[in-house]
Amino acid sequence: MKTTSAGTIESMDCLVTVTEGASGNGIAVTITGSSATRFGTAMKKTVLATVKELQYTGDISIAVQDNGALDLVLAARTKAAILRFLGGVA
Amino acid sequence: MRLRRTKLYLPGNNPNMLLRGHLFEPDGVILDLEDAVALSEKDTARILIQQVLKRGEFGNCEVTVRINGMDTDLWRKDIEAVVPFGVHGVRVPKVEDPREMQLLDEALSEIEDKAGIAQGSTLVFCLLETALGIHRAYDIAISTKRIAAICPGGEDLTADLHTSRSDSGVELVGPRRMVVLAAHAAGVCALDTVFSRIADEEGLRKETEFVKQLGFEGKSVIHPNQIPIIHSVFTPTPKEIDTAKRIVAAAAEAARRGLGAVQVDGKMVDRPVVKRAAFTLQRAGITEEEVQG
Repeated sequence: MKTTSAGTIESMDCLVTVTEGASGNGIAVTITGSSATRFGTAMKKTVLATVKELQYTGDISIAVQDNGALDLVLAARTKAAILRFLGGVA
Repeated sequence: MRLRRTKLYLPGNNPNMLLRGHLFEPDGVILDLEDAVALSEKDTARILIQQVLKRGEFGNCEVTVRINGMDTDLWRKDIEAVVPFGVHGVRVPKVEDPREMQLLDEALSEIEDKAGIAQGSTLVFCLLETALGIHRAYDIAISTKRIAAICPGGEDLTADLHTSRSDSGVELVGPRRMVVLAAHAAGVCALDTVFSRIADEEGLRKETEFVKQLGFEGKSVIHPNQIPIIHSVFTPTPKEIDTAKRIVAAAAEAARRGLGAVQVDGKMVDRPVVKRAAFTLQRAGITEEEVQG
């Protein structure tokens, strides 16, 4: 199963892992780590907005392991992980 | 005139440092895509820096990105990733050939055109890290109008000179003098290399005083603790500012009255002294117009 990741679990960063999903499952997002309970919904929104920006519509699961990443860092790591998954870079 | 007393290096793949570096109030930050980023992480660092440029804050800092060298296949992707998003300039490592800077100039112009940025607005800061680069310093400094500063290297340069860094820094005296001469002849800034012994505050102060005396206008910085020390050396004292104000004011008054030279504190003041005083005021952030009322 194809898996790519970007980022780290250092302070103010997050590790975003993208895995090939089962056909028809769409885009599944899971958030764990320091901000997951309080900001999980907003973080999920950022991840999905980044996927939309990249115009990706396939089946993937995106796991975010957070250690206090700001929204812009989460967006950057998500974009990098997806581009790696797609085999290209910005 | 923009002050460039300190330029703080920030690793390009480290959100914590990228987002907080400006809080230490350096005159500029260098978002590093070169040595601080592993080859396997260049792509993620570019995307992170792009996001930070688009949505982050840098206060009053001059923001530059150190791109990968012109001898790699990475530099084009670097500038494409960052130039459209609001950098003041790019810092180029291991510059040896003026033609490389013309190539960079053309590539920057293309990107600026596509991004709707004024052509020529992205400045270039050249790191001269080899004997050949130092030898060609003047030609590099005048290679394009974008060149804002030339800077001698440290570790790479001493290796190329078949020597090593010493406490006294004697091995870099010659290259530093050549860079200062070339920079001032070309009308660009001379910015010094980093001081790598982070805990040695006295050594940093001595080296900063030395390079200031040579004619450098600032230093690169690898730790925030180095910033206030370097600023204190490059910032004129209240007494120096007061003297400079009186010299500039006296020269302006003499010019109004059609006189060639005047006296300040019992000393003749001629053009070089006025020029130096004006530069002191620039370093203090005071304009000549403010002095003349």
